[in-house]
Amino acid sequence: MITLRGLTKRFGATVAVDALTVDVAPGRVTGFLGPNGAGKSTSMRMILGLDRPTAGQALIGGRAYRELRRPLHEVGALLDARAVHPARAGRAHLLAMARSNGIPARRVDEVLDTVGLDGRAAAKPGRTLSLGMGQRLGIAGALLGDPPVLMFDEPVNGLDPDGVRWVRQLMRSLADQGRTVFVSSHLMSEMQLTADQLVVIGRGRLLADAPIDDVIAGSTVAVRVRSPHPDGLATLATRLAANGATVESVGPDELTVTGTTVDRVGDLAYELGVRLHELSPHSASLEQAFMELTADSVEYAGGPTGSGAR
Amino acid sequence: MSTRTIPDTRPAPAAPAALRGAVAAEWTKLFSVRTTWWTALAGLLVMAASAGQLAIYAANDNTNDDPADDRGILTAGSVMIGSVELTQYAVLALGLLAITAEFTSGTIRTTLQCTPSRGRVLLAKAVVAGTVTFAFGLLLGGVGALVARPVLGEWGRAPAAGTIGDIAAVATYLALVGVLALGLGAALRSAVLTLTVLFATLMIVPLSLQEPDIAVLNRIADVFPGVAGAHFLAGDTEPYPGAVGLLLLAGWAGAALLLGRAALRRRDA
Repeated sequence: MITLRGLTKRFGATVAVDALTVDVAPGRVTGFLGPNGAGKSTSMRMILGLDRPTAGQALIGGRAYRELRRPLHEVGALLDARAVHPARAGRAHLLAMARSNGIPARRVDEVLDTVGLDGRAAAKPGRTLSLGMGQRLGIAGALLGDPPVLMFDEPVNGLDPDGVRWVRQLMRSLADQGRTVFVSSHLMSEMQLTADQLVVIGRGRLLADAPIDDVIAGSTVAVRVRSPHPDGLATLATRLAANGATVESVGPDELTVTGTTVDRVGDLAYELGVRLHELSPHSASLEQAFMELTADSVEYAGGPTGSGAR
Repeated sequence: MSTRTIPDTRPAPAAPAALRGAVAAEWTKLFSVRTTWWTALAGLLVMAASAGQLAIYAANDNTNDDPADDRGILTAGSVMIGSVELTQYAVLALGLLAITAEFTSGTIRTTLQCTPSRGRVLLAKAVVAGTVTFAFGLLLGGVGALVARPVLGEWGRAPAAGTIGDIAAVATYLALVGVLALGLGAALRSAVLTLTVLFATLMIVPLSLQEPDIAVLNRIADVFPGVAGAHFLAGDTEPYPGAVGLLLLAGWAGAALLLGRAALRRRDA
């Protein structure tokens, strides 16, 4: 469980994180979504006690990170995949981490195995690691202490498709084991595939904290209707409009309907005896939902900052 | 992987155990980069070259035509101590890099993630840097004396007890300077900046103060770590006993550590 209470970070006049209050619950994958520069990394760094909050607090299992004696057993985190000394081998990097928290050396080999880094890759110095290997090493470090809380900052960056799928499965299995999994990303499509819960921020402010389905459902959903009978389709359009839906005629054989559901359109077509060739939810992607959410925050922030903003 | 039972069942380790872990981690980090070995090699070469050179000068002074130069019989230990002035920069690089390399490479974030207590991180680094530079100082002292003795030839002596004492003193001096470098590095973060400040405090400022023969400035110079260390190494009785020099140097090292801890605590990593 990660608890943020009014978490705020100011750098001079810039507010990077603005009074964030969020509970990240165990047993599910919580996506932390926002455009670049929204304050995701800064929030995570404050959770790890690396940055001092200007106000508010970030707690893990009710305690501040700086109070933890052997934190790797409580929180595993992948922050910056590049944070390996250029001349130090990956395995030595993990070994130093393990020793600091009294974790036996064999656990290092276990996690290296879990993330798919073989002995040769683990012996290579940091500067020669590819971004993907660096990510795997970072994930190995997060898993070292077998912690109940895991945080990953942009974990799929630099991974190949196999690696991306592997990270998704890993997050899922960690959450299924009852752990708290908090993953940041600016890739909305990625979140749609991994996350159960979404925390969306823009310009440091909380925009949404809800199950992912709700976030998507909250945005406009359109229904696409195709029929080989233009007359029947016209009748259907009239009736839908009478029921309060917004109907847009895409062509003689196709409609796009908003403000209703697939079920209601289907029922109505059945009632009217209109033959349909397609009745599909033009499902709003998370991307769309996200754009709608952040558009507001940009408008909001655009006013007061005025020409001072870039 | 087991499920989330760990934090509930595992008691928080005692502070000494946490420090032990941090020390083990620092030890692992120090010896898993090649820089450490190159620095050590550089230190050995500088010591050997410097001790040889100073011994040649001493023998030369005794044999040239000007009797005013004569220095009589010297101990190998005193020549070796003279070589420390240059060699110390290779040794303090070990203390320095233990922290500044972390800032350069970004590993400081991993380190603080593993050991959130800033004081504990710095103390662990000080234990490792102090131990390693002390042991390395013993080796350097031995090498310096071994090189100086044959070069001095008839003008040299190397009484066992005295030489061993000199070697131990040099090792102690280097360990304290290593810790001083570590503390300053934690406060200043940049290797170049730290090295510059160290160079100034150990050498340039006290030398400038000693240059004019003004008693007040000389008294001030005597408090600087390099001068205090030199009085300790030489076993002086004036302006204060060698032990006071040691305490002064230790005070500087301790103050640097406190400064470094304050900076680590206050600033974002």
